Amino acid sequence: MYEPKIIGFLCNWCSYAAADLAGTSRIQYPSNMRAIRVMCSSRVDPEHVLRAFVNGADGVLIAGCHPGDCHYISGNYKTERKYVLLREMLEQFGIDPRRLRLEWCSSAEGGKFAQVVTEMTEELKTLGPIELGAGD
Amino acid sequence: MVGSIMVVGGGIAGMQASLDLADSGFRVYLVDKAPTIGGVMAQLDKTFPTLDCSMCIMAPKLVATGRHHNIHLLTNAVITNVEGTPGNFTVTVTMKPRYVNAEKCTGCGLCAQYCPVEAVNEYDERLTLRRGIYVDYPQAVPLVYAIDREKCIGCGLCENICQAEAIEYHQTPEEEQVNVGAIILAAGFDEFEPDTKKEYGYGRFKNVVTATEFERILSASGPFAGHVVRPSDGEVPGRIAFLQCVGSRDENSNKYCSAVCCMYATKEAIIAKEHNPDLEATIFFMDMRTYGKGFEQFYKRAQSEYGLRYTRSRVPCIEADPETQNLLLTYETEDGTITKEEFDMVVLSVGLEPPKSNQELSSIFGVPLNEYGFLDWKIFEPLKAKDGIYACGAFSGPKDIPDTVAQASGAAAMASGVVSGERGTLVEEKVYPEELDVAEQPPRIGVFVCWCGINIGGIVNVPEVMEYASTLPNVVFVDQNLYTCSQDTQEKIKQAVEEHSLNRVVVASCTPRTHEPLFQSTIREAGLNPYLFEMTNIRDQCSWVHMHTPEEATEKAKDLVRMAVAKSNLLEPLKSSSVEVTQSGLVIGGGIAGMTAALGLAQQGFTVHLVEKEDHLGGLLRDIRYTVSGEDPQEYLTGLEQSLRDHPNVTIHTQAVVEKVEGYVGNFTTTLSSGEEINHGICVIAVGGQEHKPTSYLYGEDKRVITQLEFEDMLSKGVKAKTVVMINCVESRDDTKEYCSRVCCSEAVKNALQLREQNPDATIYILYRDMRTYAFREQYYDKAREAGVVFMRYDPETKPRLEKKDKSLVLYAHDSALDLDFELHPDLVVLSTGVSPYDNSALSQMLKVPLDRDGFFLEAHMKLRPVDFATDGVFMAGLAHSPKFIDETISQAFGTVARACTIVSKERIETEPIIAEVDEELCCGCQVCIPMCPYNARELDEEEKIVKVNEVLCKGCGSCVAACPSKAAQQRHFRDSQLSSMIEAFVRR
Amino acid sequence: MDKLKFAFYWAASCGGCEIAVLDIDEKILNVVEKADIVFWPVALDTKYKDVEAFQDKYIDVCFFNGAIRTSEHEEMAHLLRAKSKTLVAFGACACFGGIPGLANVSDRDEIFDLVYRELPSVSNPDKTTPQLTYTAPEGELTLPQFFDTVKALHQVCDVDYFLPGCPPTPEMIEQAVTAIFEGTLPSKGSTLAPEKALCEECPLEIQEKKIPFIKRPYQVTPDGKRCLLEQGVICMGINTRAGCGARCIKANMPCRGCMGPTPEVADQGAKLVSAIASILGVEGEERMTEKEIEALIAQIKDPLGTFYRYTLPISLLRRKVIKK
Ligand code: SF4
Ligand code: SF4
Ligand code: FES
Repeated sequence: MYEPKIIGFLCNWCSYAAADLAGTSRIQYPSNMRAIRVMCSSRVDPEHVLRAFVNGADGVLIAGCHPGDCHYISGNYKTERKYVLLREMLEQFGIDPRRLRLEWCSSAEGGKFAQVVTEMTEELKTLGPIELGAGD
Repeated sequence: MVGSIMVVGGGIAGMQASLDLADSGFRVYLVDKAPTIGGVMAQLDKTFPTLDCSMCIMAPKLVATGRHHNIHLLTNAVITNVEGTPGNFTVTVTMKPRYVNAEKCTGCGLCAQYCPVEAVNEYDERLTLRRGIYVDYPQAVPLVYAIDREKCIGCGLCENICQAEAIEYHQTPEEEQVNVGAIILAAGFDEFEPDTKKEYGYGRFKNVVTATEFERILSASGPFAGHVVRPSDGEVPGRIAFLQCVGSRDENSNKYCSAVCCMYATKEAIIAKEHNPDLEATIFFMDMRTYGKGFEQFYKRAQSEYGLRYTRSRVPCIEADPETQNLLLTYETEDGTITKEEFDMVVLSVGLEPPKSNQELSSIFGVPLNEYGFLDWKIFEPLKAKDGIYACGAFSGPKDIPDTVAQASGAAAMASGVVSGERGTLVEEKVYPEELDVAEQPPRIGVFVCWCGINIGGIVNVPEVMEYASTLPNVVFVDQNLYTCSQDTQEKIKQAVEEHSLNRVVVASCTPRTHEPLFQSTIREAGLNPYLFEMTNIRDQCSWVHMHTPEEATEKAKDLVRMAVAKSNLLEPLKSSSVEVTQSGLVIGGGIAGMTAALGLAQQGFTVHLVEKEDHLGGLLRDIRYTVSGEDPQEYLTGLEQSLRDHPNVTIHTQAVVEKVEGYVGNFTTTLSSGEEINHGICVIAVGGQEHKPTSYLYGEDKRVITQLEFEDMLSKGVKAKTVVMINCVESRDDTKEYCSRVCCSEAVKNALQLREQNPDATIYILYRDMRTYAFREQYYDKAREAGVVFMRYDPETKPRLEKKDKSLVLYAHDSALDLDFELHPDLVVLSTGVSPYDNSALSQMLKVPLDRDGFFLEAHMKLRPVDFATDGVFMAGLAHSPKFIDETISQAFGTVARACTIVSKERIETEPIIAEVDEELCCGCQVCIPMCPYNARELDEEEKIVKVNEVLCKGCGSCVAACPSKAAQQRHFRDSQLSSMIEAFVRR
Repeated sequence: MDKLKFAFYWAASCGGCEIAVLDIDEKILNVVEKADIVFWPVALDTKYKDVEAFQDKYIDVCFFNGAIRTSEHEEMAHLLRAKSKTLVAFGACACFGGIPGLANVSDRDEIFDLVYRELPSVSNPDKTTPQLTYTAPEGELTLPQFFDTVKALHQVCDVDYFLPGCPPTPEMIEQAVTAIFEGTLPSKGSTLAPEKALCEECPLEIQEKKIPFIKRPYQVTPDGKRCLLEQGVICMGINTRAGCGARCIKANMPCRGCMGPTPEVADQGAKLVSAIASILGVEGEERMTEKEIEALIAQIKDPLGTFYRYTLPISLLRRKVIKK
């Protein structure tokens, strides 16, 4: 069966902590995601997302603190605007925007984190493996 | 004198005080009776009025406290004896056994999975069960399990399963004598237990819960994983009633107001509404006491945006329908009609009580308690319990988190003031061997894969991962450990670094959020720069969450190791640089806040410049003639001014204003209007505020209409008026000023009582919207009513009207409580007009610190950084921040002293190693990065036309880095090349 | 000293680069004084056969402009590479794919359908599209293959230098030629333009780099003083190489990126998304709802076409996905 591959960029303070909490709470979720820890979601550059796609990721998750909760006050507001614009551009590239996901997970939301990964994995399964470029 | 301080209580107050002290050169002993620190805040879901996630904002402080090398945690501990005098106390602390060796326990939690015993989970407010061996919550500090011996059956399962051999059934209590110079009491509060209020059926009716229980129900980490359901049947409640003042403002339980319940109920109702938009939430209250900064706006939004219903009534009793378990509330509305209404769930907004241990603490420490059982304190000394012993937070009365945190810093300042001469004498600095220069060497990577007992190794095939790691480029050494964090493994790692000349180390184990510092310190001991370390999480984010798919987990672990190794190839040694600090302060504003802060700093041994625009000191306090509790403000002021003028460290600049500020934390240069230049390391903004001058109610047209301060002045000379009407909330809580000024209700009560004393025959009316005499101020409201002051409530829609007929004043008032119209003929009308900020815009621009919508200065974080700005080195206190009482202003002012000391106590400040930098060859000066930085750490170099990072101010978020269109900006340790290497290694090739 | 041998070739391009060579005016005389032009399809009647007959590395410097659109371009790229000591990608199209590269949002079938069938001015009742071979009475005729994907020169053969611009300015050309004559070319693979972005050369004043709203160039007349981004006009100068002298800016038009991205940037469009979205609406960001953010971002029409105007073929994704 096809197993999608996901790269998750998790901010150190909330979403990485949420992922840890899912662990301490032993909440089970599919093993399709590999996390890259960044200090703040605002560090994630759209270039990283595209690089992830060309390096074999079927989906990319960016997770940060809830609006207002960013450890650095306002980083996640920037993340959100970048995400919205990038999503639009991905569509122009013919890449299903559902392959890129932005989620807010507080450090108390281990369950939500697990749910996000589960949902995303399921959704990517229905979308199938990513196809890029092609043609001659 | 001893350079160490004891903090009793490890809640948010205790943690803040400890961190401030430890960061300014003192050794701290933090004692908590519970096995973990964190206090009540750890149980909260979100915090008002910003709805921040409580754990998210608190966790960094938890971790910092647990990790600080100057803070010694004494948990599961009680104080049994105190001897000595200020500057030199000997405290006996008894540590109850936790039956788990704290050194050995890795916190993996395996034991709890096997423990067959169940016990109620206090952290989840008894709504769930935990095991006989447990930690309170997953983020707990210290992360060491404890055995509940009352429940333990001694089966030995945990002892068998624990591969770290940490279980020690035979432990006995241990006693320790600790020598400290001062003590801070931060014992927090207990919550009122509603069992005694039989009429509410708590304990009998399942769907009647306390607010804290409801808080856990709301929490994503709570008993129902964040699904708001009611306990009786797990159904989603459609109608929830919140009953205010349960165990507060109540003859039969606690007379005082608990100060936080109106806000937390509103918050909980909003969150519940966010979970279920169809929810009908009703809050039954007497007075809505949303008096703090941003609270009134929150209350308004609760009604307009979330549609919460606020019903002014005290519900006398609750009945339950035995069938449906629904709850029937019978209550009287203001107009006297009796209404019955059914709800699915009732939340009791229980009040705050002194902890039972207060009596004991009081007798051990010899500190006085007030009639309610909280610390007895004085208006001008709100933080002092007695000489050498200070207090903060709810120990001295109910209060919210920001006030608690400000007090905690304040208490830290007072305590360290006692032993300021001993600063730095007891702190330990770790000495490391000289760092090896590996810059020119090709990477030689060592990979350590952890079993974590069977936590990882039971699922992930560790030998296979290790084998795989050895095939990765530049990996020259691999090993597996039973517990990578154990002491002997640290030695093993060091040896491996030496024997195999490793210059990069990768550990695949648990979470870097807790364990990275340990391993970094280990490789540092082996001579490697700590940033030549990379960690990947194959436990919390792998073996624990993929327990049923071991093969997939193993594959994931390999991928994660490959990614970590890829990044480690590109790691560079990082150094923090440091800049010199001008060890002195500038305080702007010579009112009570500024004077207190200046004196506090001076007493800590630092030079201070106090700048005041008038030709005299004292600010608004000069207009305060007396306090409600009988102190003489002017006498206090004179004394304070004298101490300031006598202090050799203080320079006072009157009739001076700040014209220009240059520099940044540690190195400011300020030019005054006199032309004088002052170099200083920190700055306290204490510019105060003013009484708002109204334009309504004939003010300014008729001399018989005056403000409260004018009335106070008049009272000091004697008032003859027979009928005095006070109107509260004049040009407050409306379009003129959206916020509530917090002090006016109490000010009106104070003046009314004073008038009553002078003139027993006077008729006194107070026209109010909500009486906001919060906390212990409630007693004066009671007293005023007893003294015959007439309180008449008006709604904003039917405001009183004042007219002049012939020569006399006529006031038409509608009493909304009685729904009756009155015509009053006052001799004097006194307007409570509230506090307005000065025009702070110039100062705000000069210091690059923001103002809020109302024109007050805006702190870095509403909840946890009440006296700080986001810009380092600038602090605020008093009315510049928001309206507040004298004692609150003093607490805050001392708070700024402690915060400032974390900077000026150091000769140099170190920069963070993980910060942004700019490649000067690539930066074109586009300045896209500048507005990214919330800390003003980026600035254009006008000469070179490129942007430079102020390394002291940068916090290393990386916002600017992602935004830099040319990649001239980079974040150390998270460089583009480093992140890209991980992305490229993501798929196995 | 022997005269150098120069060659010029034109692949998928508009011809502007050819004109640009002439735009160096009288200095062209210096060039012909020191160099012979051995191949220049627009000006000289040299055939491909003649080039094939050259010895390998016969040409000293070949200036190749235009993108690789067809198999003919690709073959010529390989041929000229073999015959030249130094191969220079000349102009934005050869360097990055350029404007023709924007065709990577479609593929051959789509383009043929549109151009040969759907456009209203087309009369093609048989609905034929170009074929690779056609048997005419006179014999078999061939056409080059039209690729799905436009490429930059270095994506099909090894390139020694890049001289970007649409077209490269006379100053840049002159500098490059001088360097060739004087033997002062930098190391192989270099781009013959500054490393910094255009802001370096830009005369406009930056007050505070925030974008309140987006306007398209026809909707505003910028004041000629303040940074265009601050006036709401998308300007790609923030990560487009300098070297052009900010010509567009001086004509009150925004930079569209013809000099290509600055050296560290792997994907100009993605970096622009990052930068522009970051400064768009920073003021008041904490109060914006999701809907408001979407409306704000929606002001940027055609982000792909805007941000990859000249560089789509060398971007990370290179082209739009062709759905099978
Ligand atoms: S965004 Fe980058 S290029 Fe622009 S000024 Fe900042 S560091 Fe320099
Ligand atoms: S990394 Fe963050 S804190 Fe540092 S300069 Fe950049 S935006 Fe400011
Ligand atoms: S720190 Fe989590 S989004 Fe900024």
